[in-house]
Amino acid sequence: MGTETEARTPSGSSTRLTELVDFFRTRPRLKKFAIAGPPYGVLVAFFALPLLAMLVISFQEGQINGPWTLSNYTDFLGSATYLTVVWRTFLVTVQVTVLVTVVGYTLAYSIVRFSRRTTLLLLLVILPFWTSYIIRMYAWINILQSGGVLDSTLQLVGLPAVGLLYTQPAVMIGFTYVWLPLAVLPFYASLTNMDADLIEAAKDLGAGPIKTFFTVTLPMTKNGVITGVILVFIPTFGSFITPRLLGGTNNIMIGMVIENQFKSAFNWPFGAAIGIVISAVVVALLVAGARSGGNLFGGGERDRS
Amino acid sequence: MSRKPSFGRREVLKTTGAALAAGTVAGCLGGGGGGGGGGDRVPMDITEWPPEDFSSNLNMMNWYDSWAEWAMEEFGNEYDVEVTNEGFSSPDQWYSRLQAGNTEIDNIAATTNWVERSINNDFLHELPVDVMPAWQNVTENIKEASSYQQDGSTYAIPEALVLYPLTYNTDHFDSAPESWGVLWDESLEGEIMMWDNSTVSCQIAAMYTGQDPISPSDFGEIEEVLKQQKPLLRTYWGDYEQGMQLFVNEDVVAGPLTMGRTYTARFSEGAPVNYTAPSEGAMFTSDLFVIPKGAPNPITSLLFTNWASEKPNAAQLFETMGYKPGVDIQSELSEQDREFTTWPSDWNLVFSETLSDDVRSRYDEIWTAVKAA
Repeated sequence: MGTETEARTPSGSSTRLTELVDFFRTRPRLKKFAIAGPPYGVLVAFFALPLLAMLVISFQEGQINGPWTLSNYTDFLGSATYLTVVWRTFLVTVQVTVLVTVVGYTLAYSIVRFSRRTTLLLLLVILPFWTSYIIRMYAWINILQSGGVLDSTLQLVGLPAVGLLYTQPAVMIGFTYVWLPLAVLPFYASLTNMDADLIEAAKDLGAGPIKTFFTVTLPMTKNGVITGVILVFIPTFGSFITPRLLGGTNNIMIGMVIENQFKSAFNWPFGAAIGIVISAVVVALLVAGARSGGNLFGGGERDRS
Repeated sequence: MSRKPSFGRREVLKTTGAALAAGTVAGCLGGGGGGGGGGDRVPMDITEWPPEDFSSNLNMMNWYDSWAEWAMEEFGNEYDVEVTNEGFSSPDQWYSRLQAGNTEIDNIAATTNWVERSINNDFLHELPVDVMPAWQNVTENIKEASSYQQDGSTYAIPEALVLYPLTYNTDHFDSAPESWGVLWDESLEGEIMMWDNSTVSCQIAAMYTGQDPISPSDFGEIEEVLKQQKPLLRTYWGDYEQGMQLFVNEDVVAGPLTMGRTYTARFSEGAPVNYTAPSEGAMFTSDLFVIPKGAPNPITSLLFTNWASEKPNAAQLFETMGYKPGVDIQSELSEQDREFTTWPSDWNLVFSETLSDDVRSRYDEIWTAVKAA
């Protein structure tokens, strides 16, 4: 047991901590670096450098360390076939994003506004993430195939079998299922943070439910919507497993072409070049989408002020 | 251009090497060496069999999952070695790890083309096949029909032959289809499929149009017939399980599938299927055991490679996976299995040589164009 004097004296470690705090307090730039440095370091090491490596490889011919060339880019951008695939991928991605956004927003809205067991419902939403992506796709194969769960159920209620597997709707269903949690969570977060009194105020001022939704609810939650759209759009654009397992002969996506360059064609530089171009396209689309999103939803606070 | 010889069963059988007794090695070795024995030696340091010292761990990457599961236990118990296996669905999964500098994988079930790439990049240990007893079990023609030797050095041991045949529904067809043309038969619209693999599908189209699948003369014709075929297909399958299930569910009656998956569909899933090599020919390749550089347990891996090529263990590979082992196992099989694994001598089997960069690139472009059409 120490003396009273000893008890009041800061310990060695707390003294060092105080000195450290004082040290950074007098050096604000160093403090910012110490706080932001590690995450930036992770980003550089695991995102920027690999992307840079991919960029370098994309200018090599045939193989890594091959001669320098621009042909990977000219071959890709000059090919009607590859550009057709990109366009189709874009269309599918937009369709999937719209579908997931509508379904996800509806689900999140109903959880926030009309449900009591929100935790349980959110748990159910993210539950599929606990299962492997591939296994989930195989589950859908069992559901959608001829004579599968869906067909059996339809026939049970007197409806004809549809045999959806290997069709475009099957791909849409698969995508919607796997990306729904990614959209619902940001939608839920933005709807939860919205002041519900604003909805009541709009109704008091004479707005109907639809007008209230489009003039109050949707603009107030636009950040969550944009986040959800981004989270769905990006992985869908690069997908190759879902269309391969659920789609038929007309469901090629650019992710499948890139995969093929690495696994079968052994032309990694060409695959890297396609990856770089697609990354640039996706980033451009997202920037454009985010900007137009602000206008689309009636502008932000800055416009109103 | 040089070409590996095509061959039939008769030639395989008549050139089968003399096999050494499987138990000899096991009896001599006794328990595991444990510790770090073997970690600082390379396979070529072994000049006498069995190796005197080997470590008590082995890390495999083998995509013959069911057999690997069996082998882990059998080999582990026999040599007191703790064995792990990491399955994979595509060779690039292990190849990228060798590129990154392997420090974990001891033994890989690799495919011919990837073995060639690995040899060219100095990723593999040379193997002392002259001192490995089970090397004698590998049939001579299978040794010739694989590309795993360079400048007189051997870098792999054939594990299995992988045939890419035409699989068909035996209830639908009274006898085996004689031509790949069945995959262009309009009366089978919606009941046939193709493999979502640029090389395999283009090679089938090349054979169908009477061209050399390794070095075709008319790429335009290949693209044209594949586009003609597209509306007739149920789908392009991209995953082995998916391809097999299409036959098991009787969604399709004909299409390319591996011999192993056909075996599983028929004997494990009860599907009415069989396989054939159409008159135009069928491609085959081989899977091989390799020991990558950087392997922490190279001597144990060498021991395992030898063990896996002993007849009973190779026979087990066939019985669990349906692929024809690199070892002659006819005497080990049941009548049913012997019938299934017998390739008639008049089959025109073409070894799937590594394609030139140009052909591979053209096949890839064709396949993308066909799928985008």
